[in-house]
Amino acid sequence: MIPRRLKYWIVLWTPLLWLLLELAWYPKDRYVSQGAGRMLGGFIDGRIGSYPAWLLVAGGLVCLARGIWSLVRDPARRRGATVIVCAGLLLLAWSLVAGGLPHWSASSHAASFGWLFQTVLLLLFAGALWIWGATFSDRAELLVWNVRQVWKLFRSNWEGFFGLCVLVAFVLIALLAPFLAAHTYLDPNAEIGKPYSGSSWSYYRMLGVDEQGLSVWAEFVWSARISLVVGLMATAISTLLGTLIGIGAGFYGGWRQEVSMRTTDIFLVLPWLPFAMVLAAAWGHSYGLIIVIIGVTSWPSTARLVRAETLKLRKLQFVERAKAIGSTNTHTMRRHILPNVFPLIFANTVLVVAIAILSETTLSFLGLGDPLNFSWGSMLRNAWQSGAAGIPEWAYLVAPGTAIILVVLGFTFVGQALESVLDPKLRKRDRAVADRPDKGGKRKPGSTSTLSRPTVAGQPTPGLREQGADLSPISGGDE
Amino acid sequence: MDKRHYFLRKIANTVLTIVVVASFNFVLFRILPGDPARLLLPRGRWDAASITANEKAFHLDKPLWEQFGYYWWDTVRFRFGDSFKARLPVTQVVGERILPTLLLTGTGMVFAILIGVITGVFGGWRRGSLFDTTATGVSMVFYSTPTLWVGMILIGLFSVKLGWFPTGGLEEAGAVYASWWQHTKAILDHLFLPALTFCLVYIGQYHIIMRSSITGVIKEDFVLTARAKGMSNMRVLWHHVFRNALLPTFTLIMINLGLVMSGAILTETVFNWPGLGRLAYDSMMQRDYPVMQAVFLLMSVAVIFANLIADFCYYYLDPRVQA
Repeated sequence: MIPRRLKYWIVLWTPLLWLLLELAWYPKDRYVSQGAGRMLGGFIDGRIGSYPAWLLVAGGLVCLARGIWSLVRDPARRRGATVIVCAGLLLLAWSLVAGGLPHWSASSHAASFGWLFQTVLLLLFAGALWIWGATFSDRAELLVWNVRQVWKLFRSNWEGFFGLCVLVAFVLIALLAPFLAAHTYLDPNAEIGKPYSGSSWSYYRMLGVDEQGLSVWAEFVWSARISLVVGLMATAISTLLGTLIGIGAGFYGGWRQEVSMRTTDIFLVLPWLPFAMVLAAAWGHSYGLIIVIIGVTSWPSTARLVRAETLKLRKLQFVERAKAIGSTNTHTMRRHILPNVFPLIFANTVLVVAIAILSETTLSFLGLGDPLNFSWGSMLRNAWQSGAAGIPEWAYLVAPGTAIILVVLGFTFVGQALESVLDPKLRKRDRAVADRPDKGGKRKPGSTSTLSRPTVAGQPTPGLREQGADLSPISGGDE
Repeated sequence: MDKRHYFLRKIANTVLTIVVVASFNFVLFRILPGDPARLLLPRGRWDAASITANEKAFHLDKPLWEQFGYYWWDTVRFRFGDSFKARLPVTQVVGERILPTLLLTGTGMVFAILIGVITGVFGGWRRGSLFDTTATGVSMVFYSTPTLWVGMILIGLFSVKLGWFPTGGLEEAGAVYASWWQHTKAILDHLFLPALTFCLVYIGQYHIIMRSSITGVIKEDFVLTARAKGMSNMRVLWHHVFRNALLPTFTLIMINLGLVMSGAILTETVFNWPGLGRLAYDSMMQRDYPVMQAVFLLMSVAVIFANLIADFCYYYLDPRVQA
């Protein structure tokens, strides 16, 4: 029997996720002023879901391998595995279409029927989750309980909750951009007034007019997309690199640890901004490059954090036990180490997003972004270069700046709240602190994450974590 | 770990890091798209004679490993070629930018440390008070604010709207000052806004670190003992709590010390301050590769040396390292 709540969640989140994917791909040339029919047609537009073919091939192969593996190994999973195999086959079929069949190429994303493939795949995955919940109802029950527990603790942390609300608002602005402001208002010749002619009560002029005569509101809305996407994707790269290197270094030790930690140290001392400027000067200006630069320069702190945690875990009994019964290293890392460092990585990821968004602003401000697209940083650059500070055009300066502050604060708050909720040690320690007011709060030697004071369930945190700063001496990687 | 072992290890690490960074510098400017001999020439001067001359000067006619050797030989002698823009040796162009940068970052850093530490101490001492909540909130907001935006708002407010301070630069172009006092006053006038920007952005870190370590130390037994002896509050705070809570702040100061060269790129860019950061930005915009190369190397080496100094100091300050 599938747990009742899991059932509800699947029914609720599948359509929401579908809507999210559709909106993320929504074509830019449909405007509200063209009428409701055209807007609705946008949801089945051919360009939706135009992922590059190589990504689809990779996804299809992973699904296929995973499905066949469980079909062969575990007859109890027969139904779920069949669904996963179907999803894999569908992904491969999609990749054939996306590659442009007669002259197939891996980098092509010739889109057609992307929305249909996307929808069917989403339903297949939802079905697989449903079957998993029905087959392993005890594990599903546990999952539901854990998620609810975390949510309950998170909700009671007002800073985290406030941050989440701010983030949801900005994600909505970014997703609904085609509905909030027509993309044509970003064309260089779509002036709506004289440069800096001030704001008025008309919709597109509510934040004023920029130095080219374009609508600041339209720029602001579409910038939200670029800023958030760059922040999230850079974080994905950084977290992936940091996790792999950190777990590898912590688990293996020996020369592998030495090499990866020395590499980490070198990346940690490279001043990232001049480094990024040199790279961007070499390889041209685009958001793809910015994503890679931020991702490649921000992984060392994650790697150190993960490594420290892995070192602690490696000495614990269940890892010894796994080794004793003959698990391979890969199995131990995947099944025992990773699930235990995951909460830490998850909370850290949210904090890294904040830093990545600030970095994106900085790089775009220095003119390293794609000159054809707007982000909050490039808006500030335009304002700076045209001397907006000297002209009474405050909205042009204040809107992107405030948005950046709010989003960064939002991610920071959510990250800190998650950190205090997800780490059972911190929760336990906090209960101990509550019992004995004379003890606790001591900084543990070698701990990188120094929470000033984690939340007690039901009470707000007065404390804020020292974010960003890694407090152990930089090259003392071998305590 | 015994002392000599520790120090030698740290020095070896530093040397290794510098070698890697410098080699990286070499590789980076060789994998740039296009012919280095042309890249190292200003645009429009790509005649055969200059290209051959350039190949000779940078040893580009030799095989790669020999080029690598020459690169090291030049780097050790501080020969980085000529700047395209200024048509002057890079050493000179970079050299005259170091002092203004140190003036800006030094002033900003000192004030950030002073203010951040003091607010942090009182915030941690009276945790949850109105002062603490306000100070922490403000420092969180400034920590999340892009430096460039703070700078732009300050310029808009204090230079343009109120006219109290100049909008940028180190001094008025071509101005002749009656006395050294007038000159200093003009420089201080120009320094105020950039230093304030730099300071505001860094206060938050010091405040939050200081506050949390004070909160940790307050709960220790020796503080209770000191109070039991009947010491005054302020004496307990400054003589017992503050001293024991200084270590994390010291680490942060040491980490930030490496940023005296590279930490103010944005501030200098926004305020047109003639320092290294502005030079880095300008050389990037003008594709002035020799200057970029030298600036990047200088900034990286500054950070690496600051870390070495931090490690040395740590040996004496933190008993855990000696154990």
